[in-house]
Amino acid sequence: MATIQALTDQLKKKFGNAVTGVENPSATQLFIDFKKEKVREICNEVLAQGGRYLVSVGTDNLAKDGTLGLIHTFAFDKEHYFLSLRTATKESEPIESITPDIPNAGWSEREYMDLLGMKFTNHPKPKKLVTADDWPSDIYPLRKEVPFNIKPLAAENVAYQLDECPEGCSIVPFGPYHPTQHEPAHFALFVDGETIKGSDYRGFMIHRGVEKLAQTQISYNEIPFLAERICGICGSVHAASYSQAVEIAVGHKISRRAEYIRTIMLEIERVHSHLLWLGVAGHLIGFDTVFMQAWRVREPIMWLGERLTGNRKTYGMIVIGGVRRDITPELKQDILNVIGTIEKEMITIKNAIIGDTAIHRRTKDVGYVSTEDTIKWSLVGPVARARNVDIDVRRDMPYAAYDEMKFSVPVVDCNDVWGTVLVRVLETFEAISIIRQALDKMPNDGPILTPFEDAVPAGMHGITAVEAPRGEVTHYVITGEENRPERWRVRAPTYPNLQGVPMMLLNNQLADVPIIIGSIDPCFSCTERMEVVDLRNGGMKVMSQSELEALSRNKR
Amino acid sequence: MLANLAKKILPRSLWVYHCNSGACNGCDIEILNVLTPYYDVERFGIKVVGSPRHADVMLISGAVTRPTLPLVKRAYDAMPNPKLVFGIGSCTIGGNMWADSYNVCGGADQAVPVNYFVPGCPPRPEAIIYGVALALGLVPQQAAPVELKQMEFPIDMYERNKAWEDRNVIYELLK
Repeated sequence: MATIQALTDQLKKKFGNAVTGVENPSATQLFIDFKKEKVREICNEVLAQGGRYLVSVGTDNLAKDGTLGLIHTFAFDKEHYFLSLRTATKESEPIESITPDIPNAGWSEREYMDLLGMKFTNHPKPKKLVTADDWPSDIYPLRKEVPFNIKPLAAENVAYQLDECPEGCSIVPFGPYHPTQHEPAHFALFVDGETIKGSDYRGFMIHRGVEKLAQTQISYNEIPFLAERICGICGSVHAASYSQAVEIAVGHKISRRAEYIRTIMLEIERVHSHLLWLGVAGHLIGFDTVFMQAWRVREPIMWLGERLTGNRKTYGMIVIGGVRRDITPELKQDILNVIGTIEKEMITIKNAIIGDTAIHRRTKDVGYVSTEDTIKWSLVGPVARARNVDIDVRRDMPYAAYDEMKFSVPVVDCNDVWGTVLVRVLETFEAISIIRQALDKMPNDGPILTPFEDAVPAGMHGITAVEAPRGEVTHYVITGEENRPERWRVRAPTYPNLQGVPMMLLNNQLADVPIIIGSIDPCFSCTERMEVVDLRNGGMKVMSQSELEALSRNKR
Repeated sequence: MLANLAKKILPRSLWVYHCNSGACNGCDIEILNVLTPYYDVERFGIKVVGSPRHADVMLISGAVTRPTLPLVKRAYDAMPNPKLVFGIGSCTIGGNMWADSYNVCGGADQAVPVNYFVPGCPPRPEAIIYGVALALGLVPQQAAPVELKQMEFPIDMYERNKAWEDRNVIYELLK
């Protein structure tokens, strides 16, 4: 058990003067400042104490003290707190990469190479990640002196900087526009025959500069609406997460009723998203009946969302300090009716899916990742829970009204795509039960919106996580001057999960690629970034071009 | 005019290609939603196809980002003539809230000539179906086009009041 006290003592004892400051503003937040030379040792020690890597946050303090800040964040699930390790480096000095030990940090670090111009030593893959291929390498858009609307001239026909194909394999391009993918992202699949021996990813095509816009253009109270448009499917999650991060940073309390309404909205969104995913998964394995039926069952939830909030999606419901609309007794009855019908239909769908051998054959043993690898790569959400990793921030780090809800977290040990199907179906029932409990226990009084009374003080840090349908969303906020955050970092669940996709694809059949990528419920617009990861095995048959030509001629 | 042309050049079933140029998924799930049992556009012969080479119509959703700009152009070029382009959602109309961000080029019209826009964030499935039906001349047009004047920013109180009055005049005209 690494409680806050035990962990602080341990780090101070082991690293002595390298730890320069400890802050513990509330029971769930621990901030430790340290000198950058020890970054790798400290992160390893935190991992050994049971920390789970979340995300790194890069900040620009050049105007203040001439440094670039870097914050590695970890979650201690059993002890219910977040740890943020803060350090800083001079602009010209490199900092040691933690990616060799924590593979999931690879994207975060590459992101700050692109956006802030940080330098990392020992990074296994220091390639471009976020900015476009024709983006000039000396403009770092997240730095404060760079205007938000800078538009360097575009170059034409710039090729993706993909990995080299291993010998004996051929490249199958997948995307950017592919029938099974509804968002642009490019995968280069290295195949030997039909078997995938490696892959490379170039995404971040939907990078819209959300963080930069929030930090330069709009104010605290407008950001929830920007946050909702990060993702059209799990928008409330981002709004809730951002609002919570600001509330935690400045210690603002909201009413209990507002927290209950947030809980209900988040769970309604989960029901809608899981049904949506179920349909899309059916479509990806060529089983369109599942698609049609799941979306038919889902439609009343969209209508319910419209009655509750005024819009079918992108609710605009959750703002800093509470929620915008109340749930009246009539709407309460309405919600109960709708989820009652959905529960009945879900039982039918569940039985149909569990009894369908075609779905079993397409999903079982596909996309296998061992439990150890899942933990090592810090995968989250249903993807991790299908691989026997028992994490759920609703239970581990209760937010909104989840501390009073009774629910189970479905965890299965299939380690494959079938497991993710099961977890999502079971979670839908849990979500329905949570909505019922929340409606039952919701207090009848209290304001739904508690606005700030004073200006938000600058320089406060806050981190929070919210369990989105596809995994956990982590938001880190540093409050700033001019009524807007100085830094706002969004980590969507697809961000870590997509880094695990090459591992899932390895040694699978080419035909299973859509469902494997689909199984993480990818949301590239949340992730908004791009990456290149490769995993290959050696020992493949090598054939020269002339040999291949000879072979094909002989066949004929 | 365009409606008559569309009716003439695309008299039979419409095959639709859906192209996400940088949307948040909100419009994309509503586009998929029109295929599902409650809305079921296949009864009008409208079908979503996987390749732009099979398509008569491109549905483009989202603001056009810097990396997708050449890709959208290529997808548009791959479509056989005659072809129509629908911008679905507010982001296609000038880029919405991302309009001048460093990685965004602007609305869909930056990449391809857009024939019709369906506004909304995201537009309802009914709105998408209505937009397509309107383009094909299946339903009568029910709203007159309104030209709005762009105001200088910042607007002082006098101008704001005047804009409000102007808006009321437009509503009077519409009645």
